[in-house]
Amino acid sequence: MNAISSESLTKIYSDFVNKKLSVTALSDFTLDVEQGKIFGLLGPNGAGKTTFIKILLGLVNTTSGRASILGTQLPNVKIRKRIGYLPENHRYPNYLTGHQVMKLFGGLSGMRRAEIASRSASLLKLVGMEQWSKMKVKKYSKGMMQRLGLAQALINNPDVLFLDEPTDGVDPIGRKEIRDVLKQLRAEGKTIFLNSHLLSEVELISDQVAILNKGKLLKVGTVDELTTTDANYEIGVATHPTEAFFHEAAATVLKFQLDKSTISADLTSTAELNRLIDLLRKHNIEITHIAKKRTTLEESFINLIKPVSDEKKPEVRQ
Amino acid sequence: MRILSLILATFRELFSKATLYILIGISVIILLGLAAGISAERNGDEVSLSLFGNPTKMPVPADQFELLVREMQAGFARGLFIGIMLFGVFATASIIPDSLEKGTVDLYLSKPIARWELLLGKHLGAEAVILSNILFFVGGLWLVFGVKTGVWNYQLLLGALTMSFMFGCIFSIVLLLGVVFRNTAIPIIGSFIYLMFLDNMLENREEIFVFTQNKVVHGLLDTLYYVFPQVAAMQRNLDMQITHRAMEWKPFAQALLSSAGFFGISALLMRRKDF
Repeated sequence: MNAISSESLTKIYSDFVNKKLSVTALSDFTLDVEQGKIFGLLGPNGAGKTTFIKILLGLVNTTSGRASILGTQLPNVKIRKRIGYLPENHRYPNYLTGHQVMKLFGGLSGMRRAEIASRSASLLKLVGMEQWSKMKVKKYSKGMMQRLGLAQALINNPDVLFLDEPTDGVDPIGRKEIRDVLKQLRAEGKTIFLNSHLLSEVELISDQVAILNKGKLLKVGTVDELTTTDANYEIGVATHPTEAFFHEAAATVLKFQLDKSTISADLTSTAELNRLIDLLRKHNIEITHIAKKRTTLEESFINLIKPVSDEKKPEVRQ
Repeated sequence: MRILSLILATFRELFSKATLYILIGISVIILLGLAAGISAERNGDEVSLSLFGNPTKMPVPADQFELLVREMQAGFARGLFIGIMLFGVFATASIIPDSLEKGTVDLYLSKPIARWELLLGKHLGAEAVILSNILFFVGGLWLVFGVKTGVWNYQLLLGALTMSFMFGCIFSIVLLLGVVFRNTAIPIIGSFIYLMFLDNMLENREEIFVFTQNKVVHGLLDTLYYVFPQVAAMQRNLDMQITHRAMEWKPFAQALLSSAGFFGISALLMRRKDF
């Protein structure tokens, strides 16, 4: 059973007065997220990431299509007992203390007082907010609010956790701490669905990543799958290639570049790779390693988004 | 538990604002003033009731004194009735638009509560706050009159429930306007217009009918009269309650149905909204 599943999900924000102002936030969006994984959803502003989360949480109604969480068809109020959510730009009642916020949202989750008290204390400790729990929320910094938000999202011990920009405003040490918490949750079998603009953050902890643009799913896979390309290889060499090697290679129309002791080759097939290896060996050039060339997630993201962005201006909203 | 959490949160939210403390302050000043100024003076077989030394009415025989006190209490309650509606709306109108703000509504609705439950919790929370204020003032009034005149009118205490009930009915209009416009000013203005003009106009619609035979106007005014909670009729009921006369059940039933209708429409609209 998937933690999250969506099938041909479409959301159009209709403008009844001026039809031209209607926007398609999600278009025929199909996605499955396995249980016990950290899943990162990436996309530029207005790609439809937040709309997708809001549909899953019942905050936005669908135009068409279906979605389910832990096998329960949505919309469903009861399934939210097993969900935690940290929204982007959340606003907690500023007259409450951190502890009172936990109490309020624990109560809204249908938890008992004793259970709320014990979980609240341990979660505030987990996110490093223990000593600030008696302070009014209005005095909190952005980073403290994010930490409290994460603790709040975990109050009901959810099986699926939705985090929208969880490290927004958090300092590097805090980010590391949040990443560690998320890894710990994954180890406990929880599913974490992450929306973030910080691609390096997503790259560091996500098991799977999907890239969304203009309401359409462009690519989904593991971070490895998204950052490696079949046609690009890196070949490490111990000895510098000779002039004769370059002449012969140029004649075979193999495309490559030499950078110190690494040859970056842009090949069209594995046959070309083998030809290049043969050529290196023929010229007695010692090979130290061969690896598929990796790009950063950011590079992959930009490469995927750019062609679509160049077509026309975005007409979707988040 | 979930609804209770919402009620408590609303209670906290409203008491975090200065408005209610101002109301409590005004209530305390009035009650202290009454305690200092009210007195019963016996003159043979007759008794009179004075406020700061000025007789409120002609002296009455001792056996009618209780009636006189009840009438005076009813007078205070009538003033309080409209006052508390206006002030109550002013103090609580923000809770719906505030709850529906981006970043807040997401947090509420990501928990296992239905949208109508969120509205109900907020509604009951606002009502609980206003009830506590009414009980404070009416309870004080009851105590002051009891101590100063010896008349312990329990119906005055029950009048607090009638006032609170009516506030709840008016709040259902505030709720609907809050859900539709997600703004504090419109519910306040709308409710004030209804309480100060429209309700009186509908109550006295027969006088308008004298000037026009237009059936559409007749139908419209009649419909509005039965659609909205009948505040003036409930005010009369409060008067009857405090003076120990039989109340009419129809305004109660009408106000209850009307507020249920407004709440139902709010819940339906809320269900269709995207946040």
